Amino acid sequence: MIEVSGLRKRYGQTMALDGMSFTVTPGRVTGFVGPNGAGKSTTMRVILGLDAADGGHALVGGRPYRSLRSPLRHLGALLDAAALHPGRTARHHLLWLAHSQGLGVRRVDEVIELVGLAPVARRRAGGFSLGMRQRLGIAAALLGDPPALMLDEPVNGLDPEGVVWIRGLLRSLAAEGRAVLVSSHLMSELQDTADHLVVVGRGRVVADTGVAELIEAASGGRVRLRTAEPAAAMDALARAGAVVAATGAGTVTVSGLVSERVVAVLGGSGVPFSEVAAHRATLEEAYMELTGDSVEFRAGLRASGSSRSSGSSGSWGDGR
Amino acid sequence: MTRPVPGTGTRLREVHAEWTKLRTAPGTLWTVLALVAVTVATSAAASALVSCPSSGCGHDAVRIGLAGVQAGQAVTAVAAVLAITGEYGTGMIRATFTAMPRRGAVLAAKAVVVAGLTLASGTVAVLGSLLAARLVLPHSGFTPEHGFPPLSLADGPTLRAAAGSVLYLALIALFSLGVATAVRDSAAAAGVVLGLLYALAAVPFVMVPDPDWQLLLWRISPMNAGLAVQSTANLSALPLTPWQGVAVLTAWTAASLLLAALLLRRRDA
Repeated sequence: MIEVSGLRKRYGQTMALDGMSFTVTPGRVTGFVGPNGAGKSTTMRVILGLDAADGGHALVGGRPYRSLRSPLRHLGALLDAAALHPGRTARHHLLWLAHSQGLGVRRVDEVIELVGLAPVARRRAGGFSLGMRQRLGIAAALLGDPPALMLDEPVNGLDPEGVVWIRGLLRSLAAEGRAVLVSSHLMSELQDTADHLVVVGRGRVVADTGVAELIEAASGGRVRLRTAEPAAAMDALARAGAVVAATGAGTVTVSGLVSERVVAVLGGSGVPFSEVAAHRATLEEAYMELTGDSVEFRAGLRASGSSRSSGSSGSWGDGR
Repeated sequence: MTRPVPGTGTRLREVHAEWTKLRTAPGTLWTVLALVAVTVATSAAASALVSCPSSGCGHDAVRIGLAGVQAGQAVTAVAAVLAITGEYGTGMIRATFTAMPRRGAVLAAKAVVVAGLTLASGTVAVLGSLLAARLVLPHSGFTPEHGFPPLSLADGPTLRAAAGSVLYLALIALFSLGVATAVRDSAAAAGVVLGLLYALAAVPFVMVPDPDWQLLLWRISPMNAGLAVQSTANLSALPLTPWQGVAVLTAWTAASLLLAALLLRRRDA
């Protein structure tokens, strides 16, 4: 379990963390999302004791990280996959980490096997692709078999096979009862991975909610209707008290009526239709809904996304 | 979700991890070879170039035979700098402090393994230098007839000079490690260390005419003072005794490590 409470951190003029508080509970994947510069990486560095917070505290299993004697057995972290000596082999990189935790070479070979690096374990890490480095970083995070894991943008730069692999790994780690925190600046990345979301902007939490609840709320009991005669359908439904909107060629979104009523009304009016389904919002739509009235957060979006501020929804730029 | 702990006690884990890092770094073996080669070659060259044409020429044969330490220390200094700045340069320092959050213990562990390796390779370099000098010096006129018996560790002052030279190299390594931890950048740290060693050693004679200032600068120069331990002749003419010189270098080393420990604790990694 990871608990973050009231973290504050200022770098010069920039308020990086401004009362960041949330909890990562065992047995589920918690997505940590927000635009670049929202404070995700800083929060992770503070949790790991790399940066000192100006206020508040972060606890891992109820204790400050820096007080842990074998920290990798409590929390495994992947912050920056490139942060290793390029001349050392993957196996030797893991070996010194293992020795720092009182672990032996057997555990090193286990995690190498686990992340699929066995064929290249004795090669220098400097020659690794980004995907291989990510795997090596994940091997390091898993080294101490920790009950909590924290990964900063783990799918960045991975090929599709790697992305699928990471998603499956995160799911299975959570299923084993571990607390998993995974950050991303892309909502869509977390759609099928996270159970819970901590949405951040400008150094504080904007929303702390379950993924299912968030999508449920954003879907708002709307019904999507596919029909060859949208005008007649809209007319009939409006008369029945629904709020209707044409959302595409032959598609109408209906709110205020459950799908059974929609079917009955259309049937009664003799309007043909090919499909009536509950509208399911995407995580990105849910996110836009969520932050639609958060003026300050939108300002934060603009401030951080220089080139992409007017770009497609849910993507706030690259890197950190 | 824990597994049994084999072997190492918690206290020595940092040392174990740092030793694994050092021995698996590709540059380590080359550093050891370079230290020995540069030191022995320079000592042999100095022994060949100097000459003692007559009886009582006033030279310090032991000091000449150990002259290579003045060149070898640069290898040691740069290697010790890279032991820490290499981690800052690649970002690996964050992996280090994530695995071992007690930063003071990490610095101490690095100091132990760097000093240990320097003591071992420095011993080889110094013994090699004495052996080379013992073979070469007679050809330069350092003969028993001129008052120079063959160099031997059975001679008290020679043994002190040899052991002191090994100690000198280890102190230089630790001094460099401390400076590099404070500075964090490879080039800047190497510049500061080599500047403090060579420039501070030369400046008094090049730029300072006042003899009192010259004396003071000689006494506080880590290289001049530290290498006093190599002297076996005209000891009374030295501004410091051999062991006082070692104490000066030790003070520099302690100060640099202390500064490093304070900064490590205070700074974000």
